[in-house]
Amino acid sequence: MSSSFIPASPINDLASWAAQKPAPGGGLLTPDLVALAQSGVSVTLASCDPDGRPIVGVGIGCRIRPDGTIRALLGRAANAALLDAIAAGGRIAATFTGAPDHRAFQVKAASATLREALSDDLPEIDRQCAVLADGLVEIGFSRELADGYVAHDPDDIVAIEFLPERVFTQTPGPGAGAELTR
Amino acid sequence: MTAPCLDTLRPSLEGVVASVIATCDAEGLPNVSMISQVHYVDPERVALSYQFFNKTRRNLLATRRASVQIVDPETMQQHRLALDYEETLTSGPLFESMKAKLAGIASHHGMEGVFRLLGADIFRVLSIEPVPGPKIPRAARARPLLAATRRACAALDACTDLEELLDRATEVLAAQFGIRHAMVLMAEDGEDRLYAVASRGYRASGVGAEVQFGEGVIGVAARERTPIRIGHMTREYRYGAAITETARRAGLIEGAPRTIPFPGLAAPRSQIALPILEGGRLLGVLFAEAEETMRFAYDDEDALALVAGHLGARIAILRADETDEDHPAPGAALPLGGGVTVRYYAVDQSVFVDHDYLIKGVAGAILWRLLQEFQATGRTDFALRELRVDPALRLPAHGENLDARMILLRRRLEERQSCLRIEKAGRGRFRLAVACRLTLEEPA
Repeated sequence: MSSSFIPASPINDLASWAAQKPAPGGGLLTPDLVALAQSGVSVTLASCDPDGRPIVGVGIGCRIRPDGTIRALLGRAANAALLDAIAAGGRIAATFTGAPDHRAFQVKAASATLREALSDDLPEIDRQCAVLADGLVEIGFSRELADGYVAHDPDDIVAIEFLPERVFTQTPGPGAGAELTR
Repeated sequence: MTAPCLDTLRPSLEGVVASVIATCDAEGLPNVSMISQVHYVDPERVALSYQFFNKTRRNLLATRRASVQIVDPETMQQHRLALDYEETLTSGPLFESMKAKLAGIASHHGMEGVFRLLGADIFRVLSIEPVPGPKIPRAARARPLLAATRRACAALDACTDLEELLDRATEVLAAQFGIRHAMVLMAEDGEDRLYAVASRGYRASGVGAEVQFGEGVIGVAARERTPIRIGHMTREYRYGAAITETARRAGLIEGAPRTIPFPGLAAPRSQIALPILEGGRLLGVLFAEAEETMRFAYDDEDALALVAGHLGARIAILRADETDEDHPAPGAALPLGGGVTVRYYAVDQSVFVDHDYLIKGVAGAILWRLLQEFQATGRTDFALRELRVDPALRLPAHGENLDARMILLRRRLEERQSCLRIEKAGRGRFRLAVACRLTLEEPA
């Protein structure tokens, strides 16, 4: 594929984590991770149901409030099992993966709160989806497939909110999954 | 939820769009990450690629449960699979088929050298849940594969000798499946090596080119006796390294190279190799390649595996049927003139016509035997059966590949357009045609 970019690596993620302070408003995330999460990335989610069985989910976009609270936006019908697990008190994990360079990080929290989507979520979701689709085209998807990948029903969006308690680099390569700590 | 059957979900398991995996640790802390490969094992099981010892892996070993979301790259339909871990395989056919596919996926994503398969984690599928969401309708397939496969098998049934059958195999791939570049390679008796005996769609036929077991998709398919395919070519599966080594070793014996270049495409993007088996025994490999990426999917593999299986059965039937049936039909007279010197090197049974390498191994020994007999007695007609038992040739006890060797020899002589030829003279019989003065030398 494209070799025009320098591949992201867990080593680089650790270095930039060490070089930055948390974003000024609060929370754990550094400004570059706050930016990455809202830059049109693939948002994947997981919780654990009361039987201890993992439940995977896929989000549509992400917003981060000034206090560091992550607001992940996702389709309600597409993620019914995940939302049930969270409502039942399941813990939450979310991974944000960029295209085309695969730079990624994961956050975890003990709980998350379900919220309705807000009117200003929709234009932001549209913007992030458009950027993600362009990134997918860059790594070889056809335009039709890239647009299909980010397609969603705007009337069926819900938000889950949580304050990250732990952060991990998730970029592929040696050291992937390492916790980013202070 | 529906009863688990993965067969219709295989397009989602090609690794075109990354899948997502969620796991939990023993305390219920979830983990979510992308996974390069969710591989189809059978209708109720998948294999996930184990590449790094990471959180996902630790969780799987601790709680043995996973939730995976897959995407059909054409329709964007997503499915969520609930999985229970069974075991990890670190070698064998399934492992090798995943390794080849992963190498292609890695190459596609600029991750060559980063993605490396350590194991194939096998999971039972407990449930398959379609994920609601917008979809794209699936386009109808231009060539229904089942109908194409049936026609291909019928065409092979019509062949009455091995040479015709092997050529027909590459023809039907073109006619029925639109595959323009293909070859048939046969296994050497008792050797971990194959040689090309029929090809189609290449500038040079490459007949006689050798592939070592384990080399490229062909060599891995032969060694593991399983179909191997790759949708994005990568250096790891290219041919050449072992060939160069063979050439180097040959160079130590004699200055002139004793190998025939592999005829494949210069820049293939997709390749598939299917073992040709008969009762579990490897007869050869059916190979196809294309300049487009992802040319061969699971369904193509099914279809071509059936064709390769049928080819194996037809080869076995033709061989069982081998009889001496003399049809003396004088070959076209070759222009008589000039002369050639044929040299034979017993060390590797290689034959040079004047100074050009022709062939080596069993086929070289056969040619030398025929030429000596011709020189001594003028005899031109021979039967395969007498070669089989000829003590001077020291053929393996069940030298069933002799017929394929004779095809190779005939073709090499034809391509060289020298004054030597071997012509068919009825079933199980052939005729040596010598149209010039012959000098035989056997350097010490």
